[in-house]
Amino acid sequence: MKSIRFWLTLLLCSVLWVSVSSCFNSSPAYISTNKTRNIHLIVKMNKGDYWNTVKLGAEAAAKEFNVKLTFKAPDSESDIDEQVTMVEDSIKEKADVIILAASSYMGLAQVVDQAAYSKIPVISVDAEVGSARVQTYVGSNGYEAGQKSAERLIQLLNGYGEIGIVNFTNASVNTGNTSSGSTGSIDFGARDADEREKGFLNYAARYTNVKVVQISYTSSSTADAEALTREMVANHPNLRGIATLNEIASQGAAKVIQNSGLDNIKMVAFDSSPSMMELLQEGTVQATVIQNPFSNGYLAVKYAVEALEGVAVPERVDTGTKLIDLENMLWPENQKLLFPFVR
Amino acid sequence: MNKPKDFFFPQRPQPRKRSKIRVSSKLRSIQLIIMLTFTAVTVAVAVIVSIMLYGKFARTAEENANLNMQQIIEQVNYNLELYVKGMSSIFETAEQQITTSESIDSPLLYERMDTLMSSREDLVSMAMFTPQGQYVVGTPGQRMRLNTQLESQSWFTTAKRTSEISYSAPHIQNLFKGKYTWVVSISKMIQYMEHGELKTGILLLDFNFRTIDELSKQVKLGKRGYAYILDPLGNIVYHPQQQLIYAGLKYENVEPVLEYAFRSYLDESTGEKRFITVRTLAQTGWKIVGVAYYDEIVTTKRDLNQFLAWFLAVVLVCVIAVSVLLSWLIASPIRKLERTVKQVGEGDLNTPINVSGAYEVEQLSKRFNMMLQRIRQLMDQIIYEQETKRKGELEVLQSQINPHFLYNTLNSVIRLAERGKTDEVVTMIQSLSKFFRISLSKGKNFITMQEELDHIRHYLVIQSFRFKNKFRYEINAQEEVLQYQTIKLILQPIVENALYHGIEMLPDEGLISISAVLQEGLVVIRISDNGLGMSKETMNVLLSGGVKSEGGSGVGVRNVNERIGLYYGREYGLTFESELEEGTTVTIIFPARLTEEAPEAKKEETDL
Repeated sequence: MKSIRFWLTLLLCSVLWVSVSSCFNSSPAYISTNKTRNIHLIVKMNKGDYWNTVKLGAEAAAKEFNVKLTFKAPDSESDIDEQVTMVEDSIKEKADVIILAASSYMGLAQVVDQAAYSKIPVISVDAEVGSARVQTYVGSNGYEAGQKSAERLIQLLNGYGEIGIVNFTNASVNTGNTSSGSTGSIDFGARDADEREKGFLNYAARYTNVKVVQISYTSSSTADAEALTREMVANHPNLRGIATLNEIASQGAAKVIQNSGLDNIKMVAFDSSPSMMELLQEGTVQATVIQNPFSNGYLAVKYAVEALEGVAVPERVDTGTKLIDLENMLWPENQKLLFPFVR
Repeated sequence: MNKPKDFFFPQRPQPRKRSKIRVSSKLRSIQLIIMLTFTAVTVAVAVIVSIMLYGKFARTAEENANLNMQQIIEQVNYNLELYVKGMSSIFETAEQQITTSESIDSPLLYERMDTLMSSREDLVSMAMFTPQGQYVVGTPGQRMRLNTQLESQSWFTTAKRTSEISYSAPHIQNLFKGKYTWVVSISKMIQYMEHGELKTGILLLDFNFRTIDELSKQVKLGKRGYAYILDPLGNIVYHPQQQLIYAGLKYENVEPVLEYAFRSYLDESTGEKRFITVRTLAQTGWKIVGVAYYDEIVTTKRDLNQFLAWFLAVVLVCVIAVSVLLSWLIASPIRKLERTVKQVGEGDLNTPINVSGAYEVEQLSKRFNMMLQRIRQLMDQIIYEQETKRKGELEVLQSQINPHFLYNTLNSVIRLAERGKTDEVVTMIQSLSKFFRISLSKGKNFITMQEELDHIRHYLVIQSFRFKNKFRYEINAQEEVLQYQTIKLILQPIVENALYHGIEMLPDEGLISISAVLQEGLVVIRISDNGLGMSKETMNVLLSGGVKSEGGSGVGVRNVNERIGLYYGREYGLTFESELEEGTTVTIIFPARLTEEAPEAKKEETDL
């Protein structure tokens, strides 16, 4: 009887061993896609080709890594409160990761800390946010982009003349809302807008003959941008160049130039919507600084998944900027960047 | 039972030694051996078979997957070829219409080209340009953009270089206002008539990826597998993750693909094992590349792996269960048999062996039982035969008493007769005749004490003649004792002994006194003499039969003892008390019995 018990124990052990060992050889080398992750992507605005391309990239990654992507965006880039609410909602909905393109560097800092407190990793995309708890930043270097823009515009102007800038979501627009706050107005601007502007101005400052005569801030509509440009052109009849620092501003300004036949004004735009490409090809706009919205969206989701997997993600991912003009826009490698492959 | 045991099993194992063996022999038990062997063999066979099956299945699975993949890619290749052929035929139709048209600006040509364009959804644009890049004709009739740089575009330059139909790499169609579309262009230099003049133009047909996408979507190569299309230069024409490739987020290792038109190989450039299958389209030189992830194909392999693991586990469980049961079934009767046999070995020959179980064991047990029975029988027989033999021997000895004695006595009679002592001769002959009558007793072994005492008396009478009254004798017997049975002639050898060894050498007159009493159901006969006596050694030798009395009956004292032992049991027989110079007393003890022989003997006596 004793021997029979012994053998039963041995048997049990061997069965255990077999089942355990069979579990070992099934760990995949690639990122596991067995589990569906909930990732919330909150960007600045729900319109515009730029954000659409970011979304496309995010969706490509979501498909690849089995992610349930929730896309959120306020109607306007200046609607900081709405974006804060969206992040709060995502925290409540217990998102696995929040990917955020912050409309305001400081305005969303607190809510990001709150997300981190709730153990939800936050990845910032395109625009940084003033929180140390952000896992990684995926986007371009705004300062460098601003410098590229300035370099080309000044070159187009042969190094002299008046320049106007159309930028976006500066706190000065919002001062009405946050007037009581003791924090400086600059703190509430979007980080990318600030960086681009800073880059542009710092570069332009090297040229004594170049004068930045006006910087206008559009909230987030083409019409607004148009109005601001018209105002700018009217105020400065000697204006020789315009730099626009995001897609909406670029489209508004380009429309004014095209419609008013202001051929003497050179323009360096920002971002690469198809309509911008058309303007470039038609000669209304001389150059545009492009980012990698598709890569931003894709990589943000990819790193979000990797962060969830426990893979160490880089602190900062620079997806780069490029200056596109008529000459190089049809180069195959640039075609691939400029025109999303839509089937 | 002591004797037979030692007789049959002289090398009976010692108990101590046995317990030692038991410890080590646990490992050599039949049950364990059967179980281990059975399990080992079965598991080994199962493992070997599993490994072989696994190898075979895995190879087959791999081959099948590879073949399957090749077929799928072949199918895509075929479909794509059909598609490209379709596109070329549209192109050729358009070319034909343009070349056969009398004038390039005829409305009929426009109409026909429109019809052709609307025949397929994936046609984006159709247009003809002069070799200088001037727009001649086209549909849909959109306005051209400025700064198209078409002269430097590949479809234009290639068409100018060759007279064949050429297919471009995917590019952005930037010629017409409205949209930027990713297209593949077909182009060729053709001739057309304009205002009666034969001119050269470059015809362009753009188509988008809708159909190619659909074709590629049909490709199911596992969960993650896919197919992509390369142009002969290594540009990716189509990829399910084209945008990722374009954005530089993904790479395809196209170098080995470009080397061959038709091949399948295993690629590990991405760190993962992938099956790559390449087929090449005849017209365009495009390569369809199927990519399947090895470990997905090998899901079958992994499934198999898991299945085999479970199979082995189940086999192991079953085998061990069966072997435990089987070995128990086989071993337990054997063990039982072994235990019983051991018991037999320890001397209990009466242990019944009735072990049921396997046929062999049952037979073994039966045979053993029979053997045991036979042993018992043989033992009984041997004992019987031995006793019979001994009795026979003794009887022979007994029968030898008489002639010897007779010879001596007759010698004495002759001497007496010569001397003319007639009375003494008569007495002697009388005694002799009675002596022999009792000696004979019709061949019976048992006589009454009365007869035995008479017998010895006659003997003493005769001997007293021989020894010339050198001794006296007295016989005292209780009345009750006389009727009891005794073995014939047990007194004579003792008295003879006393005479020859005790009294003959005695200088004084000897005395032999015989008494017989009944004591607690035993007949006790004492024969005392006042002779020389014996040493202890002599007494011991007497009973073991080393001494034979010279001139005596030839029947030793020992035989008396043996006979008593044989007939009544070993606890009965003779005891000696002797002291040198004092004399010897021999005591004979045996149970008092009144058997049927007694009346017979009496009857005989009355006959006389």
